[in-house]
Amino acid sequence: MLKMTHLSKAYRTEVVETYALRDFSIHVRPGEFVAVTGPSGSGKTTFLTIAGLLEEFSGGEYQLDGSDVRGLDDNARSHLRNEKIGFIFQAFNLIPDLNVFDNVDVPLRYRGFNGAERRRRIQKSLERVGLSARSRHYPAELSGGQQQRVAIARALAGDPRLLLADEPTGNLDTHMARGVMELLEELHRDGATIVMVTHDPELAIRAQREVHIVDGQVVDLVAQPRLVRSAQA
Amino acid sequence: MISYYFSLAIRSLKRNIVLTILMIAAIGVGIGASMTTLTVFRAMGADPIPGKSARLFVPQIDNWGPNKDSGPAGSPHKLQNQLAYTDAVALMNAHAAARQSAMYASGLPLIPANPQLQPFQVRIRAAYTDFFPMFDVPFRYGAPWSAADDSAHADVAVISRELNDKLFAGADSVGKTVNLDNHAYRIVGVLQHWEPIPKFYDLIDEKFGKSAEVYLPFTRAIDARMDSWGSFNCKESPAGGWDGRLRSECIWIQFWVELPTSADAAQYRGFLQNYAAEQRRSGRFDWPPRTELRDVTQWLQFNEVVSDEFRILVLVSFSFLFVCLLNAMGLMLAKFMSRARDFGVRRALGANRRAIFAQCVIESGVIGFAGALLGLALTSLGLMGLRSLLSKSIAALTHLDAADISIVIALAVASTVIAGLYPTWRATRVQPAWHLKAQ
Amino acid sequence: MELRPILSAMRRNKVGAILIGVQIAVTLAILCNALFIMEQRLALSHRPSGMEESNLFAIDNEFVGEPADLPVRQQADMAALRALPGVIDAYDANEYPLTNSGWSEGVTVDPDQPSAVLCSLYFGDQHALATLGLKLISGRNFNASEITDRGPTDQVHAASAIVTRTLAEKLFPGVSAVGRSVYIEGSKHPTTIIGVVERLQMPWTQAGGWAEKYFYNSMIEPYHFVAPETWYLVRTQPGRLAAVMQAARKQLFAIDRARVIDKVEAVTDTRAEAYRDDRGLAVILAVVCASLLGVTGFGIVGLTSYWVSQRRRQIGIRRALGATRGAILRYFQTENLLIAAAGGVVGIGLAIAINLWMVTSFAMPRLQVGWAVAGALIVLLLGQLAVLWPALRAAALPPALATRGG
Repeated sequence: MLKMTHLSKAYRTEVVETYALRDFSIHVRPGEFVAVTGPSGSGKTTFLTIAGLLEEFSGGEYQLDGSDVRGLDDNARSHLRNEKIGFIFQAFNLIPDLNVFDNVDVPLRYRGFNGAERRRRIQKSLERVGLSARSRHYPAELSGGQQQRVAIARALAGDPRLLLADEPTGNLDTHMARGVMELLEELHRDGATIVMVTHDPELAIRAQREVHIVDGQVVDLVAQPRLVRSAQA
Repeated sequence: MISYYFSLAIRSLKRNIVLTILMIAAIGVGIGASMTTLTVFRAMGADPIPGKSARLFVPQIDNWGPNKDSGPAGSPHKLQNQLAYTDAVALMNAHAAARQSAMYASGLPLIPANPQLQPFQVRIRAAYTDFFPMFDVPFRYGAPWSAADDSAHADVAVISRELNDKLFAGADSVGKTVNLDNHAYRIVGVLQHWEPIPKFYDLIDEKFGKSAEVYLPFTRAIDARMDSWGSFNCKESPAGGWDGRLRSECIWIQFWVELPTSADAAQYRGFLQNYAAEQRRSGRFDWPPRTELRDVTQWLQFNEVVSDEFRILVLVSFSFLFVCLLNAMGLMLAKFMSRARDFGVRRALGANRRAIFAQCVIESGVIGFAGALLGLALTSLGLMGLRSLLSKSIAALTHLDAADISIVIALAVASTVIAGLYPTWRATRVQPAWHLKAQ
Repeated sequence: MELRPILSAMRRNKVGAILIGVQIAVTLAILCNALFIMEQRLALSHRPSGMEESNLFAIDNEFVGEPADLPVRQQADMAALRALPGVIDAYDANEYPLTNSGWSEGVTVDPDQPSAVLCSLYFGDQHALATLGLKLISGRNFNASEITDRGPTDQVHAASAIVTRTLAEKLFPGVSAVGRSVYIEGSKHPTTIIGVVERLQMPWTQAGGWAEKYFYNSMIEPYHFVAPETWYLVRTQPGRLAAVMQAARKQLFAIDRARVIDKVEAVTDTRAEAYRDDRGLAVILAVVCASLLGVTGFGIVGLTSYWVSQRRRQIGIRRALGATRGAILRYFQTENLLIAAAGGVVGIGLAIAINLWMVTSFAMPRLQVGWAVAGALIVLLLGQLAVLWPALRAAALPPALATRGG
């Protein structure tokens, strides 16, 4: 699904050249739930940015769902993002002017679906995250956890091949965080491919496997069996 | 997709209503001011006789020579704007044009048939019969007098619709008489309403004045010694009496010719120069012949129909629009940039730059349209204001027609979209990157 | 107040600062010129005519037919008017100031020289000075025996005349004109100046080249103007104007119905009509200036509010580091002052450029420095006022924003 080989990303200022990613390789197969961890400044954010086609990379190769993405222009990348990727941001990033229904609608509009198709998908998405009853509410009227779930519904509505999550529970309290993580695990069980960036090792554990980045490079690959969590965790 | 952007635009405007109102107000006020002046400007400069304005001409002859400081009559460099009586008669007798008429404005008391009614002044135009077909003057009853009437100095008259309504309650009054200063004139024709704006055939005194109420043969007016109500300008004091005036070099007669083709016009120009050269040979002029022939458009320009004050007003009002658009640009910049994050989200979700561009342009267009509506209201108000502040003659020009309204809307939307181009460009430049995570 | 951080912050917000700066510059340029034009037009419309305009009115009288005994009828009218209660004096005239139609003639001191000076020719009898309220500053008024009849096409000129001070000084600089002779164009004999009045303007009211030169050049000749259509000028006692205007019309028709009275108009109304366009332009420019200031002011409010919202974190940090509310306020006010000053400099340059262009295109006088300074001060004040509200809101932001991030 997501295959990066010897990827590098350099930032050039006037004086100095820094590498956010250096000889970076990762292979996420369809249906995997991968956690990407590392200290701040390690490059995990850069990795997710490039993975999400939000930025270009300097060297190496990146294949998304079988196709090489090097050299694609802005239009092509936007199109690919729209079709193949679902984003879940730490700060939810719902559009405050729009209600829940219209927020989930946004990526579908750029896809070009007709009205009936969009409605069907939105309803299906909202049901999946359990928020059909709130479709007319505005983000300001929802709790943090609910907002994140709307964001997840938005990410799902276009049937993406890959879900990219950046600290999805970072702005949530423990209770809501648990709800969101449970949802992600459910999605994974239903076959979704998820790459989640987090600094919280307790969250990283809930993924299928963990990739650890330090100074722009993968340090170790830790394959962990899924632990069954105890009731009060 | 466009209807989607429309609904997004409306929502975004509703979100920060104060900012929206400021923007719409800025555009509306700017459009209102500039369209108020533009409407009147267009009317002032409009072709008063479309279709014929290139075939009607005013001949001008220099009968004063180079040394004159004539005060109100004009500068030494500009050719005289009227003819002397001798020249007018000479041109008429030469018959060098397809149609021609010398003319001047006068006025007399009209004594109504009903002895209970008070006599009142009427505006008179003394002209030849060609006047009516030349200017396509529409008749309601009857017809112009004949060329024979001109030669016979007949006491016939054509009256305006308004005068006919006043004296004869709008009935067919052909054959009846009107009493002008104790002399009877037989009515041969009654006009339809005819008020060309500007009154291009006589721009002396009032550029937008009212047309005459009674038209009489020029020859008859001269016989009756009807005084000119226009301007009577002399280089030197004329000899005494009415005859002294007719023989003098004082200019007070207007002259128009109709020349159907450009060949005719060239020929007439030649004729004018020859005429002036003849006057020199005969000793009347002792300067090189100087003549000009101007068509309607050139004549309007020569007479500076659009006053300087008005040009200044138009410039001021469009500068005002410029400031308003800069204002709107700044406010739109603020509006779009404070939603930078939303644009970044949309980009991340798959919108390409063109989609963001379209969204912003449509939002600018919606603002522009709202500004247009406000602008229309303010333009009407502005025109009302102009009507009361400036001379009554301008009043006829202060009406919004369908073309004006379309211009208002087009101007408002187009200028707002253009003003919004920079903020739109900035919006498309927002990177769909993870700075969305932080503040 | 250190300017450098303000300047560097502005450099990062270049476009917004430029937008405000340009708006201020254009506003200033228009404002200066508009104020200047307004002042000119209003000054124009206040030029004294020389007449005592209150309690003075004019009747446009036209006899119907061509009665042979016009002089007799006119005298009868005059006698009747003077006899009306509330009337101080009256006379019949060929023209009067502010009507924009009248006679002018060239006049010279040397019969062999072509006339160099133009003046307006008024005809009046011994009642003219009192009716118009003109002030005689030397010499004497006409006496009854000097007055004769003159028709519109008669080519005669009187043996004596009263002139205005301006005309006297132009013809006879430095000496008294009384007793000296001039030659009116077209006249075969000299005219002796018997009196000089302080001021009497020409009938025309426009501004511009030739008008400026001859505005107060006028001459009154001792004639009864005999023509079917003449003006009757009447002076009333204070407070009796309206009543007399009505009574006069009635009285004239009572004497003779074979006439048309087109207009009975107070001279103050004649002035208002004559300067209507000038006053109208002044009002319009005033409205435009006010709107311009309003639009620019609100624009500053809007854009500055946006800047404040963009920099909430920074403001919080400054407050956390010890800046007082006043310091934050001064920060924004200084920022605005810098932009306004830059815009002001450009604006003054633009104002002068526009004025120069108008001088050549529209024959206007040059802009005086006073207007440029006045305009600049107004615009600076506007900017400071406009920035006050967003700056106060910025100053009220809590220091906690530094940590919380807004």
